[in-house]
Amino acid sequence: MASNILGIGQSALTAAQVGLNVTGHNIANASTPGYTRQVVVQGAAMAQDFGYGFMGQGTEVSTVKRVYNEYLSTQVRSAQTTKSGMDSYYSHISQIDNMLADPTSGLSPVLQEFFNSMQDLASNPTLMPARQAALSSAESLAARFKSISSRLDEMSQGVNGQIVSSVSDINTFAAQIAQLNDAIGRAQRATGQPPNDLLDQRDQLVLDLGKQIQATVVKQGEGDYNVFIGNGQPLVVGTKTYTIFNVSSPTNPEKIEVAYKASNGSTVIVGEAGLSGGRLGGLLEFRSKTLEPAQNALGRVAIGLGTAFNSQHQLGFDLNGVAGGNFFNVPAPVVSASGNNTGNGVLGATISSVNALSTSDYQVSYDGTNYTVTRLSDNVSSTYASLPQTVDGVDINLASGTPLAGDIFLVRPTVRGASQMDVAITDPFQIAAAAQAGATGDNRNALLLVGLQTAKTLGNGTATFQGAFSQLVSQVGNKTRELELTSSASAKLVTELTSSLQAESGVNLDEEATNLLRYQQAYQAAAKSMQIAGELFDLLLTIGR
Amino acid sequence: MRISTDTLFNTGATRLGELQTSLAKTQEQISTGRRILAPSDDPIGAARALEVTQSQSINNQYATNRNIARNTLNVLEGTLASVTSLLQDVKTAVIASGNGSLTDNERGFQATALQSRLDELLGLANSRDSFGNYTFSGFQSNTQPFVQTLAGATYQGDSGQLSIQVDSTRQMAVNFSGQAVFQGGGQDIFQTLTDLVNLLNTPVVTPTDQANLTTGLATANSRLDRAMDNVLTVRASVGSRLQEIDSLSIAGDDRNLQYSQLLSEIQDLDYTEALTRLSQQQFTLEAAQRSFASISKLSLFNFI
Repeated sequence: MASNILGIGQSALTAAQVGLNVTGHNIANASTPGYTRQVVVQGAAMAQDFGYGFMGQGTEVSTVKRVYNEYLSTQVRSAQTTKSGMDSYYSHISQIDNMLADPTSGLSPVLQEFFNSMQDLASNPTLMPARQAALSSAESLAARFKSISSRLDEMSQGVNGQIVSSVSDINTFAAQIAQLNDAIGRAQRATGQPPNDLLDQRDQLVLDLGKQIQATVVKQGEGDYNVFIGNGQPLVVGTKTYTIFNVSSPTNPEKIEVAYKASNGSTVIVGEAGLSGGRLGGLLEFRSKTLEPAQNALGRVAIGLGTAFNSQHQLGFDLNGVAGGNFFNVPAPVVSASGNNTGNGVLGATISSVNALSTSDYQVSYDGTNYTVTRLSDNVSSTYASLPQTVDGVDINLASGTPLAGDIFLVRPTVRGASQMDVAITDPFQIAAAAQAGATGDNRNALLLVGLQTAKTLGNGTATFQGAFSQLVSQVGNKTRELELTSSASAKLVTELTSSLQAESGVNLDEEATNLLRYQQAYQAAAKSMQIAGELFDLLLTIGR
Repeated sequence: MRISTDTLFNTGATRLGELQTSLAKTQEQISTGRRILAPSDDPIGAARALEVTQSQSINNQYATNRNIARNTLNVLEGTLASVTSLLQDVKTAVIASGNGSLTDNERGFQATALQSRLDELLGLANSRDSFGNYTFSGFQSNTQPFVQTLAGATYQGDSGQLSIQVDSTRQMAVNFSGQAVFQGGGQDIFQTLTDLVNLLNTPVVTPTDQANLTTGLATANSRLDRAMDNVLTVRASVGSRLQEIDSLSIAGDDRNLQYSQLLSEIQDLDYTEALTRLSQQQFTLEAAQRSFASISKLSLFNFI
């Protein structure tokens, strides 16, 4: 009888100790990221029939489990992926936003200064200082185009670097998830109990992975996490990892892309369409939707200005009575063949109409009989049986060689427009202000050059040079604003979902304090019952004396 | 509802961060006086501000151009005034030369005086501006417009007129070719003066000589009248251009003011609103800080 009380007391003492341990563990991990609180699952021990009724045998701890809500976790992860993507897009686009914001470092002041100095020249066509000032302001205009463009180029290199680091993070997370799959499986097989802290770690890794890229998690077998990204490309299957890696774009070596090895061993590039969400998705989207169009838009203003100015300048005569030449050196389109092409075809491109120019790049693909030209900004394509063809003011021709089926070319009409713009003339005498040869005081051509400032030369007659630049400013501003709002909304969503998850799984210190008291008292009570059992036994011994 | 201790602290920190961010933004707006700190603050406004800035810059340039036009026309008017007064002097001399009591010798003195007047007129016709360009040679600003000949002078310039953009739709000519001023209306002033000098240098011996002198002086007189009319017509046109510049300047200054107002409406900060917002945000932040500090102190552990 007394030994039974001791046994019951012993079981209570053990349960209270487990309770105190778990409570202590919860308190210790109250602010550990990804920790879910643990609770003791405790039940009454099987009762024993003594003839006069069933006598309880104390208590027993069946398991320690974590309070985990898979549904909410998935929601948090998905919201976090969206938020990280927007944050990464936002943090990059706001750099351009801030750069364009500065009223002194933008394009507008130098553009205005250039035309103002041309006006001064028109008013004093023979005045050397006026001519020199016009030439100098043209040089500062070209220099400003270059400096803005090089800032964008720097950002592009920065994006490349970040894509590489994000890919490396993704691979690291994938490897750790695979290791945990292994460790969790072994622990479960060995004990039949859930290894709660390992499960937490794995869930936290999946959440961290989701901050880099949108990933789908499929639970399999004994609880392995299989992770897929993009269009179902496996990253982790059981304990095996499939790494992704970086390659240069075949059509543009300066551009870093994300790729994986297909089962046949070939390298497959995952386009930005296949990699959305997370830091990586945000970076790719920023590059294709904002950075490249911004560089092109700036280039279009430079090419438009240079070309229109040159055409008018060539109609005039300079101070020596010589017909005007090129005022600006206008950069040509950049055409590159894919490194994977099997034919030796080389494409060429020239700009025939700046008015029709877009700010997009174009992909030309050849299927053996037809050429398909795709405008990459909206994926509108047209098919031609032969070249040359004119698309959006760009003449695309076959310069040499023969392309074979499957060959791909990239045509970027305006990408180098800003970075390679130069002033062609060096002598102020060479500014062709006159409309008539040998008429030194003639300013008629200068007046026509000045008129270009307010002429709608770009975007099919819809925009002035300043207008086209303002368009860029407003597009970037609008997108930044949109991201500011949506990313703060998605941050709110993450906060709310995390709060809901934490409401269920997080540690509340007051609750743990209560539990401490609870288990402390349980321990004291169990000890007391054992003390009483001891006293009862002593009493029996006294009787025998 | 359960709330985890971590959420309590995270929410507090996040909220305090948000409040500090908006406070910092308001502070930056106040310190710069700009409502739009980056295009994203008001994309449409930012783009409009650029357009308006360009319009204002062009408008200011027109004002600069008008000043150049005004100076050029003023100098021209001064030269033409000298030409007019010179021609009036010549006319007086012609009338004096008609006096029958003058001897050949005395007419010779008159002729010498007129010869120097002719040189003076040539000097005016070949005048240069402050940059060394000939005023009356059209576009041929480096070519001396008039070269003296035995019969008068020949024009070397062309009929080009330098136009200056004085307003968005107005290009104003600010010079006149020497041909139009000195040889216009069928009258070549240089020839008239040369003829006159030759006439007065011719001795009067016979009655025929006397008749030729009388006819010659009458012809010179009427030619001088027409030449003066021609110069006065040019001066009138210069005067009306100067007037037009004045009225364009008034309109241009008005526009400048409008652009400034428009820019200010688009870009500038409403200080009353911003300062109210600042104190509101300060108040909220302080309240949040106080409440967070007091809530985070609450713990059951304080009592056990």
